[in-house]
Order: sequence, then structure tokens, then C-alpha cells
Amino acid sequence: MSLSSKLTKVVSVAAAATLLLAGCTSTAGGSSNAAPLKKEDLVFVCSVINTTNPYFAANIEGCQTLGEKLGIPVEIVDAQGSSQTEISKIQAILAKGKKAVVFVNTVASSDAPVIVDAVKAAGGYVTIWWNKPDELNPADIGNNFVAFQKHSGVDSGKCTASMLSKAIGEEGGIIALPGVEDSTTSQTRVAGLKEELATNFPNVKVLDIRPSNWDPQLAYKNSKDLIAKYGDQIKGVWTADDGMQIGAMQAFEEAGLLDKVKFVSDGLYPPTVEAMKAHKGNDAIVGETFHRGYMASAIGLYTAYLAAIGEIDPSTLPAEKRDSMFKISCVTPDNIDEFLKWDSDVAGWVDTLIANGPWDTEPVPLVAGGPEVIKPEYK
Amino acid sequence: MAPTQTSESPADVKVDTAAIRAREQVTARRVVFAGSGEPLALIGAMVVLIAIFSILNPRFATIENLQNVLNQASLPLIIGLGATFVILIGSIDLSVEGVMGASGVAFVLLSANSRGGQDTGIWAWVLPLLLAAALGLTSGLIYTMLRVPSFIVTLGMWFVGFGIATILYGTDAYPELTDDTITLWVAKITFGLPNVFWVAAILTAIMAIVLRFTRFGRVALAIGNNEEIARSNGMPIIKNKIFIFIVAGLFSGLAGILATMQMGGTSNHIGDGYLFITIPAVVIGGTSLGGGKGGMFRTAIGVLLLTILNNGLVLAGVSPSYQSAVSGAILVVAIVATAWPQRGRLRIAK
Repeated sequence: MSLSSKLTKVVSVAAAATLLLAGCTSTAGGSSNAAPLKKEDLVFVCSVINTTNPYFAANIEGCQTLGEKLGIPVEIVDAQGSSQTEISKIQAILAKGKKAVVFVNTVASSDAPVIVDAVKAAGGYVTIWWNKPDELNPADIGNNFVAFQKHSGVDSGKCTASMLSKAIGEEGGIIALPGVEDSTTSQTRVAGLKEELATNFPNVKVLDIRPSNWDPQLAYKNSKDLIAKYGDQIKGVWTADDGMQIGAMQAFEEAGLLDKVKFVSDGLYPPTVEAMKAHKGNDAIVGETFHRGYMASAIGLYTAYLAAIGEIDPSTLPAEKRDSMFKISCVTPDNIDEFLKWDSDVAGWVDTLIANGPWDTEPVPLVAGGPEVIKPEYK
Repeated sequence: MAPTQTSESPADVKVDTAAIRAREQVTARRVVFAGSGEPLALIGAMVVLIAIFSILNPRFATIENLQNVLNQASLPLIIGLGATFVILIGSIDLSVEGVMGASGVAFVLLSANSRGGQDTGIWAWVLPLLLAAALGLTSGLIYTMLRVPSFIVTLGMWFVGFGIATILYGTDAYPELTDDTITLWVAKITFGLPNVFWVAAILTAIMAIVLRFTRFGRVALAIGNNEEIARSNGMPIIKNKIFIFIVAGLFSGLAGILATMQMGGTSNHIGDGYLFITIPAVVIGGTSLGGGKGGMFRTAIGVLLLTILNNGLVLAGVSPSYQSAVSGAILVVAIVATAWPQRGRLRIAK
């Protein structure tokens, strides 16, 4: 037998084996079981975009705390910023055989359908947070896609725009640093900013909008360029998250402008809390929003868990509980302590969540149904 | 009738040495001109860009913006120095971002930081740089000893470096440097220019001298030109290659530390985006991806050209949605215009 025909034979056998294995796997997990699952058969899966961003680290904390409270093991999926890694790791866990109750903070909207299909095929239950395509509705998929949940980006943008405008005396120029340009989260926050300014603060002018890709260093560079371009015309800086705010503040500090310019952002990350408490730059940070990664993941996972054990029947839930928006609060240097108290007792907050259910727990109760629509004039 | 040919022995041939010397001098001048023509054309392209951006926005040509541009160009330039050496031997180093992440996180954790870490003094610099050098050494050893292509080895080392950074970072809060003097040192102006640019400029000068005037530099060029001939001439190929990867690692490591200082803190993602500024800058500067041709000042010009382009487009008010496309188009035009006078029959574009 020649080498090439040997090789062909080996490849054919390998291909056949792969197909067989794939067939077995899909058969094993192919049926979607409508009967309630037993608690001891469950595993919590907590998928985050990376493990070092404070928000995603908090997502993990929420999953782990809920897992401890309910006595269910937790598997963490670190997508390392890659949709491919995220999907393949989730599929690998699903293939292990235990019934998965899944929380996913998706890397990209387009990951959601693939993950939902995989979880459904394996008989698990999933809640997606933050990103999904508009046309993907939990109700259309069935009970295995329990819910899509998020905080309103428009509310976040309105809240921070209002605080920034008031802090600069309701007139003057500001710059805006959104996240990745095609991110829905960023787009909705920018829409909120534009709507608030147009409606309530007509004398506040957006000098420039430079997407900074959620990257502190790009925000730093863009801020440097915009300082060179506008100089002291810039009275305020709006960033779509606190990571970029760190970069922007660094650029203004280097230019000697930190105590003359005001900053707002979304997320209230630990460095932001520190800066606010230390009154950095003559109280440079004037506004933030409050929502927490551990709250999002615990709410998401708990909703999916209730569906898995049969305590809720997703098909009978009202629309706003399948496609949901949870409350976001405006934080100022004066009321910051009211919100930080939650961070000092994550376990206590999870107890309240278990007692009240996923939709009625302060400070993040359900406030509206999705999908969140951006008005064309504020795109 | 045909003229009678007189036979002369070679010893009798009268050689016009003056004419030969004159011809040699002309050739030498041509070579010098050909060598400097491309960088000169790039500088010309840069001047045109500066002129256009200055007309579009007068704030472009201010001292403040010049300082800003030099500040932004410094880290890509530092990384570019190591990358130039690697590219000169016909290899590539893709591990930049991972090495930066590893050294940056190590630096912040060894300095006084918001996680409660104590300042370890000089070790905060030495250990991260040693880590970066070790990553470079590993790349060099695998590349030379196991003969694995450099782009595969260094791609792997990118993720090894990133993995080290992720492990070191852990899951605690974002670590910030608590000493403001360290944080603000990078962009501080000394003699009219940012400190970080002084670091980059001095390193560029040193590396240019190393490349041109040391045996190490000449061997690197010889390897890039023709490795077989260099080897048959008894040059220390393997030692030289390994050392170049160590140097590249060190420069990436230093950039990771400086980026961390600049941001006042770090995550394992501190190196994100630097590879794809640096490699194009080196190549645009005129260092051949095939090796053997190029230099440090060319890289400096390439980095400056790219930085000015991005800065100028922001100041000119080009919409962010169009910036990437406009930036790419201008670059292509600049490179074509630069290469046009240099096109020769033997300069085959592959």
C-alpha cells in the first residue's frame, strides 16, 4: 500500500470517528426535557468576557456566591475576549453531561443564538446578559432560553449627561468617548447622552465624539488629541465606562486640567470609587451610575435556576420578564455611600435576591421590558 | 584592410586608475543617495501631511500638539527598535503584547499599589525586565534550536506572556500605582520634550550605533542578507539570533512598564493594539520584511508618520467612522509616492 493511500485510509477513519462522536454527542443532549430538573443534577455555568475587568470579576463573584447559597457547583468560562473561545468552552461543559444553568455575558451579540441553541440541545437553561440580536426573542426559542436581561443604556446616558451638564453650569463644550462603535450598550448610552442634552441642556455642546473601544489607553490617546484640538473649551468629559474614564483623567491630569474639567461615566468601578472618595482633582468625577456585575450574574443565574427546577414556567411569564431591563441609579459624590453599602455584603444581597425573586430586589428591580429602542435622531 | 591587431600581455595593459576611482566614487555616491532616498521621501511625505493638517487646523502645529505626538510615538518606537532588529534578520516577533502585559502587571505589583503592595525599589524594574528577557530568550531558543518559524514561536509566546500576566493579575481589583510622581513622570516635559520621548530617542540612537558600528549589528544585517553566506563565513548566527530575541523582549518589557506608568495602573491588556502599530511602522519606515535592509531611524520615521496621521485626522475633525479608511488610503498614497522614485527593475514586489 502506498503512503498516500495509507494516509487516505487514516484520514477517512479519523473523519468517520469524528462524525460518529459528533452524532453521539448531539443524540445524548438532543432532547429538551420539559420536566423539572433535580437540584443535584445541576451545574451553574458563568461565562464572562474576561476575568480581569472589574465588572466581569464581579459577575464571577455573583455566580459563586449564588452557587454557595444554593449548594450548586459553579464552572467559570473565561472567553478571553473571543467569541470562539466562549462558545467552545461552553460546549465543552455542556458535553460533560450535567444539566447546565447558564449565565452568559456575551462577547458579541452574534454569539447569543449559537449559545442558546447549544444549551437548548443539551437540555439546559440559559439567561443572556447585555448583548443579543434584536430578532432573537426568548419566547420564540422556548423555555430553555429563559430570559434576556440588561440595564437600560439610554437611562445611563441620560443620568450621566444630566449630572455633567449641571456640574459645568449647564453650558459649554464637552467631549464624549463611547466604547466600541457597533456595541449596542455603547450606542444606547450615547443616545441617552444626546437625548438628555437636546431635551434639557441645549447650551451644552458635544465638541467631539471619539469611540475609544472600552480601552483605557485609546481613551488616553484620544483625550490627548482632543485636548490639543480644543484646549480649555473642554469643560466636561463623558465616557461610556469607567475603564476609559481612567485613561481620560490621566490625559487631563498630565495637561494640568484635571481640577478644571468634570467627568462622568458608567460603572462605579473600584478606582472610580477611590477617586471620588479622595476628591481627586477638585472632585473631578461628578456623576456615575450604579449597577453591579455580581447583581447581574446572580439575577441571571437565579432566573435560569428557577426555570430549571420548575418554580417558574418561562412560557407563562409576561414579556417584560423574558426580555427585561433592570433599574440603574444615578450616583453623585453626595449619595455614593448609599450604594457602596451593597458591595460590603454581597452574600447578604444574594440572600435578599433568593427571598424576593429575580425581579423585585433593590437596588436593581425590574423596571421595563425590552428591546431597548434608540430614537433615530439620537443615533 | 583590417587594422592590424597588436597583442599585448596583461602586464602591459595601461590601467587608467584615475578613471576607475572616479567611477567608483560616482557609484558610491549613487548608493548613498539610493540608501537615503527612501527615508528622505518619507520625511517629504511627513512634511506634506504636516502642512495639510496645519492648514486644516492651526492647533495641529503647536508646541503642545508636537509634545503630544512625540509622547504617543514613544512606546511604539521603543517596541519598534527591538522589532526592527528581529525583522532585519528576516524573522518576526509577534509576542509584543503578551510580553508587555506580563512586565506591566509584574511592575505594578512590585511597586507601591492600590492592592496594598509595597514598593520593592529597583526590583520593580529588574524583575519585570528579566521576565521579558526570559520570554525573548525562550522564543530565541525555540526558534534557533528547534527550527520552528519565528512567527509561530512568538505567536505562542504572545499567549504565554498574556497567560503569565493574567495569572499575576488574578481576580482582585485593578491595581493602581499610588505614587503620583511615577505616574506623571512619563509625560512630564524636560527640555521641551516629554520624558518618555527622551527615553525613546536615546534608545534609538544607541540601537542605531549598535546596528551600524558593532559586530553584533553587522552580523544581524549579514544574516538578513544571506544567512548561508554569513554562516559559511563563520559568523555566530545562532548566538546572534537568540540575543536579538532577548533584546526585542527587553524593549517590549520596557514598553509594558512605561505604558503602566503612563496609565497609572494596569491590567493584563496593557499591550493591546501595540503590535499592529509597531510592525506596520517598521515596514513603512523601509525595513524589509525579508531582512537585511533597514535601520532604526527609518523605524523612527515610520512611527512618527503613523502617529502624525492618526493625530492629524482627529484634529482635522475626520469622523471616527471614516478615520480608519482615510488613514489607510493616505498611507497607501504616501508609500506609493515614496517608493516611486526608487522603483527599479530588480526591486521585485512579491
